[in-house]
Amino acid sequence: MDSGDAAAAERQRVHVRPATLRRAAPATLHLLPCAVPRNRPAPVSRFFTPAVRRGPDGLEVSFRGRRLRGEEVEVPPGLVGYVMATEEDGEVLTGPEGKQHFLEGSEKDEEEEEPLERDFDRFIGATASFSRFTLWGLETVPGPDAKVRGALTWPSLAAAIHAQVPQDGD
Amino acid sequence: MKSGLMFVKLANPCSAGEGAIYLFNVCLQQLFEIKVFKEKHHSWFINQSVQSEGQLHFATPMDPLFLVLHYLKKADKEGKFQPLDQVVVDDMFPNCTLLLKFPELEKFLHHVTEEKEIDSKKYYKYSKEKTLKWLEKKVGQTAAALKASHVPVGARVQSAAFVPGDQASGDKEEDYICYAHGLISEYLPKELSDDLAKYLKLPEPLTSLSNPPSKKIKLSDEPVEAKEDYTKFNSKDLKMEKKNNKMTAAQKALAKVDKRGMKSIDAFFGAKHKKKA
Repeated sequence: MDSGDAAAAERQRVHVRPATLRRAAPATLHLLPCAVPRNRPAPVSRFFTPAVRRGPDGLEVSFRGRRLRGEEVEVPPGLVGYVMATEEDGEVLTGPEGKQHFLEGSEKDEEEEEPLERDFDRFIGATASFSRFTLWGLETVPGPDAKVRGALTWPSLAAAIHAQVPQDGD
Repeated sequence: MKSGLMFVKLANPCSAGEGAIYLFNVCLQQLFEIKVFKEKHHSWFINQSVQSEGQLHFATPMDPLFLVLHYLKKADKEGKFQPLDQVVVDDMFPNCTLLLKFPELEKFLHHVTEEKEIDSKKYYKYSKEKTLKWLEKKVGQTAAALKASHVPVGARVQSAAFVPGDQASGDKEEDYICYAHGLISEYLPKELSDDLAKYLKLPEPLTSLSNPPSKKIKLSDEPVEAKEDYTKFNSKDLKMEKKNNKMTAAQKALAKVDKRGMKSIDAFFGAKHKKKA
């Protein structure tokens, strides 16, 4: 990538197609404790899903001969999960994003001196939504100190960090 | 159709040369920052497909003042009152002008600036004193949230063997303040973070002398904990005596701190969220 491309990337905006957020169909997500190196279609419902069992301590399944234990994890309250893909290269981003903020006010039109969307901008849309996913660990369910669980507590803390401070007299 | 909902790259207020991705909702006047959970050896199954990097992106509300503060501080070198549209300019991150589309922002600028109004046009100048007061409140409200959500913050939580039984039960006020200062510092230039630490009378970490935190920004797959060793502090920061007559609860709590750790947001995520080139 030459420096011209890099400079363009700084100017670029990636616009979210609001309609895709509204009509995104619910998806089934599993977070595996191993790296599968390539992005590609996979017959998950043929091999993985039918093998999932509900045991005395959580869900059980095996993948490539290794036993996995799992648990359903909810998206934090006030948020919704979206699977997003950029329009040209099919890159996929996954993550929960503030629900209420996205589903309102997208039709508001306003006249501006500079348009928000420019020729060189890119677009991204939601291909699916989720409100929970299944978290898997090798042999045991990931414990309370698992990084993912820590990350899921972040939104509530972020709200406090970024809340406006109250007005006062001094 | 114009949604005004878009991802843009802006200057990261903590390390000005670098960018970070933010989500703007121009119509609803909201700004979100994007944080990424990323840990080695994870993948997603999404319906009938594999997504090889098991990343989880979070869009959480962001106070735009942190981003504007970066420009106000830069403009302050000229030492004069300026209109906001002359302050928030950036050749490297031209999308910063989107910040000016938040009229709400002007209401909050007084937290960090002195302002003058001439011919109904407003002019602003960075005020360090006001900024530190504002940040102190930020630290206070963050510490309260940490407490409410029972985030373990004590430097010695893990080493129960060294802790007398009665302390093992709960974290201390000053631990929360230190932790909160660490979180807020992720939105501040290093120099301002240090000033805030002094203002709050936090102990200065020894490691910051030999290993400037700006280095923390470097990309790495290593777990972040490995880089953080704030367990040793010196205690030569007692030259702020003159302010002792007006100490807040937070400052009082900190006045007796000897050695505590500050934590960074990375504690919540697998690693820094920069994408590979």
